Amino acid sequence: MIKNYCELSIEQLHDLLVKKEVTPLMLAQQAIALAKLDKSNAIEYLMEKEALEFAKTLSEPEVDNMLWGIPFIIKDNFSTKNVPTCASSNVLSGYVPVYDATVIRKLKEKKAVAICKTTLDELAMGGTGITGHLGVTFNPHDKTHSRLVGGSSCGSAALTAAGVVPFALGSDTGDSVRKPASYAGLVGFKPTWSRISRFGLFPFAPSLDTVGFFTRNVADLSYLLEATAGRDDNDSTSSSRLVDNYHDQINKPVKGFKVAVINQILQVIKDQDIKNSFTKTIEDLRQKGVVVDYVDMDMSILSSLYPTYFVISCAEATSNNANLDGIKFGPYYDAKSYEEVMMNARTKGFSKFIKRRFVFGSFALMSENQNDLFIRAQKNRRRIVEAVNKILENYDFIYLPAAPSIAPKFTDKSDALSDEYLIADNHLCIGNFTGLPSLTLPIGKKDGMPFGANITGRAFEEGKVMQICSAIEETTGLKGLYAKGE
Amino acid sequence: MKAYNKEILQDAAHRLLFDMSNDEYDTLVNEFDIIIKQMNVIGSNSSIDNYEPMIFPFECNTTFLREDIAAEPLTREEALRNANHKAGGQIKLPKVVQ
Repeated sequence: MIKNYCELSIEQLHDLLVKKEVTPLMLAQQAIALAKLDKSNAIEYLMEKEALEFAKTLSEPEVDNMLWGIPFIIKDNFSTKNVPTCASSNVLSGYVPVYDATVIRKLKEKKAVAICKTTLDELAMGGTGITGHLGVTFNPHDKTHSRLVGGSSCGSAALTAAGVVPFALGSDTGDSVRKPASYAGLVGFKPTWSRISRFGLFPFAPSLDTVGFFTRNVADLSYLLEATAGRDDNDSTSSSRLVDNYHDQINKPVKGFKVAVINQILQVIKDQDIKNSFTKTIEDLRQKGVVVDYVDMDMSILSSLYPTYFVISCAEATSNNANLDGIKFGPYYDAKSYEEVMMNARTKGFSKFIKRRFVFGSFALMSENQNDLFIRAQKNRRRIVEAVNKILENYDFIYLPAAPSIAPKFTDKSDALSDEYLIADNHLCIGNFTGLPSLTLPIGKKDGMPFGANITGRAFEEGKVMQICSAIEETTGLKGLYAKGE
Repeated sequence: MKAYNKEILQDAAHRLLFDMSNDEYDTLVNEFDIIIKQMNVIGSNSSIDNYEPMIFPFECNTTFLREDIAAEPLTREEALRNANHKAGGQIKLPKVVQ
């Protein structure tokens, strides 16, 4: 039986590459073969020719470059020069960018090998992985194909969880990396807002958008953040702060760290298995000398998370996607006037789900509605952020189950007015409102399906977030988890 | 706040230059009912107007000008590559003045 190298970590693959036991070309060929066999409906465009040509040029291993020759995959809302990119929307069918996103350029400079573009909820606006133009993406841990993998970064999550590649690029506006990470048994990470340039990431809601990563262990993230963080003059919101040596922090002791668990969020989670596993990780952290306290947060603030997120994200998305007109790019439909050309392109190109979000965003931005909707949501965002930052004045981290359940079935319905939906299912958007670094990692399994917990730290303290998550990872026995094939 | 109904939402969609089916407008009205109710609950908190609207999570301004360095712009071929209706090296649209 041929060994699946792609199930290994970046660190393990680097070791094999340096010893010349494998070559970048072998890894690229294996990742492509696995991607072709994958049944999760995760791929927008297989970069077979590009990957093999590039991998062939990599002959002499770079000992100090952990990403040299490592195969990876890219969510299809990152601009990739000469590679089709449609963000899973028919309005962008056939679009081939003429430039690379900064994060893509940096990964290319590190000589990581891109294998494919992965599908997503259309234009990254969704949390289920069922709204993209390819249809639903399946969770590779569920061989019956009845459970979702979560979104919007569904394709990146599915293929990383299936052991096709050791890491994937995603984007996170509300929880689009960290929630699927919970459902797929992965490490999912968003850094501090502004830490990684967003130049070339299709904007959804720029006040919330961040580049993110999926890996199968915490340490691999440190190499990815070191390679991609930093100021970029093409993104005026990118931070000029120096990039830390994150890897050096990973294995340092965590004794003395202070962790806050928010009572009101934990209380609305009904699944006792998830709560038990979560409590077990808290006991393990205490064994390592970490102080863990249960703290309170105003229930009215928590209940307001989802509507605040919905209003702000829809309003920002409405204006950001006004350039999708079928004229400069995307399918063109002839008509008698340019307005009709645009009307045809947008009516045929956007799905019904996206259109409803745009209409809501437009309504929230109308001058007569702004005070009651968009500006009210922005005011409430500050109220939320102040409440979170108050907790972080006394604690290094906030720690919670990432989701209230294992990956739902496609047929499951949720009550949009219940606390479980409004709070437990949507609390990860706190990381986007505040801009704080936030990491989900697997902590348990139920019915064969993984579930995760989430750590959120203070701004620009990514190293500390990885440090405590590495300590949690040591005790779960789920490091390197992936779904083995049929 | 402006009242909403199917006609208002259809007008909003048309201003965004797309249309939806009748069923979709019905779905949208139901979604509006839920989210507007939730936003009204937020508005009923008397302290909400004491908060300044938050636009970005924290200040991260670019306060310097880039050097004026000549760089290679997009070529005409690149600029037109993704346009599907073009003629004579330009994007072609229906006549504006008939």
